[in-house]
Amino acid sequence: MPSSTMPPNRVLLALALAALGLVWLLNLGVVQPNRIVSGTGYGLYGATGWGGAIIVSSLLLMVCVLAAKPVHKRFLGLAALLTAALMALPLLLEVFALRRLPSDSAYARIGIGAGFWCLAFFLALMLLEALGQIKASRRLQLSIVLLIVAGWWFCAGREGLSSLSLIREYTNRADQFSQALTVHLSLSLGAVAISAVLAFGLALAMVRREHWRRPLLGLVSFMQTIPSLALFGLLIAPLGALSAAFPVLQALGIRGIGWAPALLALIAYSLLPMVRNTYVALMEVPEAVVDAGRGMGMTEQQIFRQVKLPLALPVIIEGVRITTIQAIGLTAVAALIGAGGFGTFIFQGLGQAAMDLVLLGALPTVFLALAADAILSALRFQETSK
Amino acid sequence: MIELKGVTRRFGDAVAVDDIDLTIETGEVCVLVGSSGCGKSTTLRMINRLLPRSSGDILVDGEDINKADPEALRLNMGYAIQSTGLFPHWTVARNIGVVPNLLKWPARKRDERVNELLTLLGLDPATDAIKYPHQLSGGQAQRVGVARALAGDPNILLMDEPFGALDAITRENLQQEMLRIQRQLNKTTVFVTHDIDEALKLATRIAVMDQGKIIQHDTPEAILRRPASAFVENLIGKGDRGLKLLALRTVGDLMERYPQPRKSEPCTDGLSEADSLRFALSVMVWQNSAELPVFNGAREEVGTVKREQLLQGGA
Ligand SMILES: Nc1ncnc2c1ncn2[C@@H]1O[C@H](COP(=O)(O)OP(=O)(O)OP(=O)(O)O)[C@@H](O)[C@H]1O
Ligand SMILES: [Mg+2]
Repeated sequence: MPSSTMPPNRVLLALALAALGLVWLLNLGVVQPNRIVSGTGYGLYGATGWGGAIIVSSLLLMVCVLAAKPVHKRFLGLAALLTAALMALPLLLEVFALRRLPSDSAYARIGIGAGFWCLAFFLALMLLEALGQIKASRRLQLSIVLLIVAGWWFCAGREGLSSLSLIREYTNRADQFSQALTVHLSLSLGAVAISAVLAFGLALAMVRREHWRRPLLGLVSFMQTIPSLALFGLLIAPLGALSAAFPVLQALGIRGIGWAPALLALIAYSLLPMVRNTYVALMEVPEAVVDAGRGMGMTEQQIFRQVKLPLALPVIIEGVRITTIQAIGLTAVAALIGAGGFGTFIFQGLGQAAMDLVLLGALPTVFLALAADAILSALRFQETSK
Repeated sequence: MIELKGVTRRFGDAVAVDDIDLTIETGEVCVLVGSSGCGKSTTLRMINRLLPRSSGDILVDGEDINKADPEALRLNMGYAIQSTGLFPHWTVARNIGVVPNLLKWPARKRDERVNELLTLLGLDPATDAIKYPHQLSGGQAQRVGVARALAGDPNILLMDEPFGALDAITRENLQQEMLRIQRQLNKTTVFVTHDIDEALKLATRIAVMDQGKIIQHDTPEAILRRPASAFVENLIGKGDRGLKLLALRTVGDLMERYPQPRKSEPCTDGLSEADSLRFALSVMVWQNSAELPVFNGAREEVGTVKREQLLQGGA
């Protein structure tokens, strides 16, 4: 194949060179004598020795070469290479722990350095570019993500990484972690589910009665404008008073702090994107289509079920997607009023200046949001292409 | 039979349809024609109760349409509109099968009907049936719209500019097909257009509307020969009225028929029986011939047409 039809890929080239520079400049990892003290950093060579440094550098140089040279099926090769590299990435930390962790201290641990995060981030960007070039199907993309997650899962379970600070924080709190996961998921998904039902009803009311549109939209927009922290706080007083007045509520666990105000606030925030999308989706069904359906003898109910709803569904799902991502993030903040969830770790970690505890709360939150995004995008894509 | 008696429709203070009387006989094609905003669509949509009327009566086969429930009424009235209103999330086949499904036909019967209609409208049951509306050309979409209106085998067809927004050639083809289908199926049809040529071509009788009133209701020939007012005269165009009259009749009506069909020499130029007299005249002028042979479908010469005859007895 003539080289003119396969120009060098500048994006990959730039990303690989940047990654190469950063991974040599920044600390790959940190050795801490205990969980609070900041510890000493090690660069790529210091952390993994010549072996690791050569493997990482030659991988990035190989990407550069493949990006520049018109090799047959190069993007397919690149995608495979980068996937494998990402899967095995935690092994670098394992080598680091093996070489640098003092064996005499029970409290010593290793932390992840900026160099490692940069490497992971740039590898992911390069993988995205390669996947874009081979026009990977959604199914392939999803399998690759699952492969990488599985790789990390496997590495995290190995003995060699047990000294990783993040994993130490996890093992100290394994029970709390699974509880936080349950609380986080049930709070955010519960809020999304409840507000979906409410929003559907409100949107229907707005479609049926034009004069309800402005006040309803105004109300849900107003709730969106209250800062989240303020809304959580504002609910404490009225709910506390209610719960004091009615012991039944107290027995149910409804108090000024805890899950009840958190759920209420989350629902209030979820309403706007949900109502707006559902309303717009239902209104955007072309008038001619509805007119034709009616003219052929469909009842209003048949038109709604068979025509309006299926046509509106992709946009409604889009609303659910936005809301879910937003709710997962906000639930982390709700820990401030004692709702539990991953936010608990974040705020504890901030209080104790233990960054890895913060990460233990933040990483799963991000992961949950990304997973929700992927699942709901796939669902919407399927609905749209029907 | 559809009867409109003193039917009026107001939107607020504006009168869209003003006290009209109109009778459409069973099996006839009534074309409502008139300029934009004169109330054609409003009239049509009152017949299937998409719009309630302000006053007056509408009877179908002697029954007041308000007696039955609107869905039952509409299931017996095919409805096609200019923008087609095809369901974008359903395939062509499923779109055409809407009314049979609503009527709870068995799946076999419905599928056969869908295939029959696709063929009738010049679509391919194998390839076109599985397409989605956005994959169709404008002309194909309008064909599907017409097929969908016919699917439930209704007694009445209501068509609101079903061939609007199409180029002249596609439009002409669809009109030909409409005529052919009408000859086969003989539905009582109300057809809305603002194109007078389309009206003249398709109508058994034309109702000319202006500002919510019916100005004239008559056969195409009578409308051309005796326009009731200056408005109608303008609508049909004074200049080529003669040509339009010629267009209403076929060569078969006027030709001198031989006692026996003759074997023709190959490659002889000529007319066919179904050609319009207008077309015949045009060919004669173009070829500068005073007489042309006429052939039947089997390419046998069955008679001749003379230019003299055309000029004297044509219009
Ligand atoms: N829903 C409505 N609300 C108010 N006025 C209407 C409505 N529908 C129609 N009209 C008015 O009624 C009159 C007749 O409208 P109609 O749609 O019947 O015209 P038409 O003859 O079909 O015109 P066109 O050839 O442009 O389709 C117009 O003046 C129009 O503005
Ligand atoms: Mg109209």
